[in-house]
Amino acid sequence: MTGDVQVVAAPGGGCHIRSGCGYPSPGLDSFNFRPLFTIGSFQFTKPMLIAVICVIIVIAFFWAAFAKPKLVPRGVQNLGEIGILAVRDQILRPSLGKRGDSYLPFLVALFFYIWVMNLMELIPLFQFPAMSRIGFVWPLVFLVYFLYLYVGFKNQGFPGYIKNMIPWDVPKFVLIILIPIELLRFFVVQPFTLGVRLFANMFAGHLLLLIFTLATWYLATVSVSLLFAAGSFVMVIFVTLLELLIDLLQAFIFTTLTAVYIASSLEAAH
Amino acid sequence: MSSTGKEAVTRVDRRAAAAQGRAQGLDIGWTVFSYLIAGMLAYGAIGWLIGRAVQVALLFPIGMLIGLAISIGFIIYRYGKQGAVDAASPEGDDR
Repeated sequence: MTGDVQVVAAPGGGCHIRSGCGYPSPGLDSFNFRPLFTIGSFQFTKPMLIAVICVIIVIAFFWAAFAKPKLVPRGVQNLGEIGILAVRDQILRPSLGKRGDSYLPFLVALFFYIWVMNLMELIPLFQFPAMSRIGFVWPLVFLVYFLYLYVGFKNQGFPGYIKNMIPWDVPKFVLIILIPIELLRFFVVQPFTLGVRLFANMFAGHLLLLIFTLATWYLATVSVSLLFAAGSFVMVIFVTLLELLIDLLQAFIFTTLTAVYIASSLEAAH
Repeated sequence: MSSTGKEAVTRVDRRAAAAQGRAQGLDIGWTVFSYLIAGMLAYGAIGWLIGRAVQVALLFPIGMLIGLAISIGFIIYRYGKQGAVDAASPEGDDR
């Protein structure tokens, strides 16, 4: 990380339409942060702090819910059970069926971690989705990738798994031209799209929020530009509501596709 | 079973079917997208390599187009056929 990074602390770095320094358009710099502290060459930044806090939030929530479970759930346990049942019935069972119930803890942890990480973009003081830094997405993608490869090799055997990947139902001459596509799709494009989809959605959402928030501040004067500032503020509200939905949706899509990939590893695709 | 009980069961079944449809839709949607990208990448790379060897830069975009065409053809072959099978299968078929 370079030393000349911009920290989006004050709105627009203090730039205002009256000050004449121009609209401080947000860009890649808005996603770089000065390190909070440094240990040797290791720099601990705000996104890392957010990631650690999210882990603690998820662990604390499920600890509070299930450390001392009651037969008749109340309070936090009730919420925890609703969350787990939602993941089981909406994500796990439709793809894996009852045989996939052993993957429920993994999928629940994955779903809630991604969701809380995404929601951080809307929570005051944090106001940054750590998933918009792609470095936070790849470890999850690799985790999922190696899990479904492992499950596939374990259940179908290495030759069987590779063999089942190839669509044998097509004519032989078509098969030859399909093999490079099929292998590339499975080993490269599938994990790549899984990661980039989450990253790009969070990146774009945060950028949109920044653009309209900065514009609201930048245009707020006692003149006709106040109308534009008001319009921009309405967009801030709209994008915030949209992001609430996107945060949940991206966590849902990532976890659902993980379940689908594990299901395809458990048995050969037809 | 009482009519209220039957209704509740039907509602649960309907929700399960909707969830299954969503998962299947996501799977097919992203698989199709992956095929399109993989087709362009695979044959774009082959075209680029051959083009580099024979000094014809045009082989790179041609390769990508060929890859895209192969992908589209295969998507139609696989999912067009599956749609036809699903439409033809009687209700309650648990294949």
